[in-house]
Amino acid sequence: MNITRDDIMTIFPKVAETMASALACDKERVTLEASLIDDLGAESIDFLDIVFRLERAFKVKIPRGKILEEARGDLSESEFEKGGEVTEAGADRLKSFLSEVSPERFKAPLKVADIPRLFTVETFCKVVIRQQRVAVPAMSVQTS
Amino acid sequence: MRGAFLAYMDEHFRAFSFVDRITSLPTRSVIQGEYVVPADVQAFPASLVAEAVGQLAAWAAMAVTEFKRRPVAGLAERIELLAPVTPGQILELGATLDSVDDETVAYHGIAHADGTPVIRLQNCLGPMLALEEFDSPDMLRNRFALLCGPGAAPGAFQGLPRIEFERTPSDTGQRARASLRVPNSAAFFADHFPRHPVFPGSLLMDANLRLVASLAAEIPTPADSGAWRLGEVLDVKLRTFIPPGATLELDANLSERSNARALVSIVTRNGGKLVGSARAVLSTTKCE
Repeated sequence: MNITRDDIMTIFPKVAETMASALACDKERVTLEASLIDDLGAESIDFLDIVFRLERAFKVKIPRGKILEEARGDLSESEFEKGGEVTEAGADRLKSFLSEVSPERFKAPLKVADIPRLFTVETFCKVVIRQQRVAVPAMSVQTS
Repeated sequence: MRGAFLAYMDEHFRAFSFVDRITSLPTRSVIQGEYVVPADVQAFPASLVAEAVGQLAAWAAMAVTEFKRRPVAGLAERIELLAPVTPGQILELGATLDSVDDETVAYHGIAHADGTPVIRLQNCLGPMLALEEFDSPDMLRNRFALLCGPGAAPGAFQGLPRIEFERTPSDTGQRARASLRVPNSAAFFADHFPRHPVFPGSLLMDANLRLVASLAAEIPTPADSGAWRLGEVLDVKLRTFIPPGATLELDANLSERSNARALVSIVTRNGGKLVGSARAVLSTTKCE
């Protein structure tokens, strides 16, 4: 799925506004390159908050774990990670999928739990764009 | 510390449970219930009404996951405080799950008392965690069956211990800061939660709203207006569990003010670490 700079810049202002609200920080701090955890101080509850707000702001559904699932692609779980650490093949896949993240931020060995530390604001812009391009799946709650 | 909770073992489903009966569960995402506020408690603050709505939503969410997961407090985008509740009133509770899975529940809800809406919760989100880490799945299943059937006997709640904060010096009318010591032991810990006692987010909200009220009393009102009144709470976020015995620093800061509206930013820290935040909206009414 080709995502251009223009695609990203089109939605970035709204993403930045949404993240600034969720993280209670100045919008100016929310740059495309900013790491949510290391630069903006996000914690796990903030990721939930951000995803929830982005869903409402862009009228898309972002399933939890979507970034990791898409990053893994056709690699099986055991091909992607072993004992909580990302395999070499998994790291290559991650670097390709998270192309917006500078290579020096991929430390080896990389723990699966530390993958969210890599996510930048641009990562979430790309998630939103991808979800805008797919059909909205049904709500996960079973109502019957 | 765990031994201290043994004295309160019989407080499960009593000391901090605010749904007496589930009156309707027409689909897995819509639930209604009721709670009789005991007439002999001194007060039943808005934060406990919000807790009651949240607990009703939690029952629906736990049922969807067949009591494998349970929600914990996380986020509420908007809580409208519509009217006070007095002891003895019957709360009619309603909640709708907007989505629920093993990771997260999103819901909104409302409570009425004597036909009058008293609180409305919008865009709430709670992380779903492994239920057995917090409580006995079997006991919760049995309780759910009881609530869906004849209901629990009202009146179990005996009120809360006074959890007072101590104001610390700050700019009068601009900022209110306080220290709050979470008790080491209290009956509500046996109910919230039996296997993992934590200070309820709603009690933190209550303390913060009392601090906001004390700040509001210091903010000058426009000449033709009455006192500042708390109308809604926005962007409530609880970031982490608060253990028994924690000493919390509460901080309420007047961030915006116009003639008819004021916004107070609230943050709570535990040992310097941010554990919660919210914004309180104050408004005035014109004097006739």
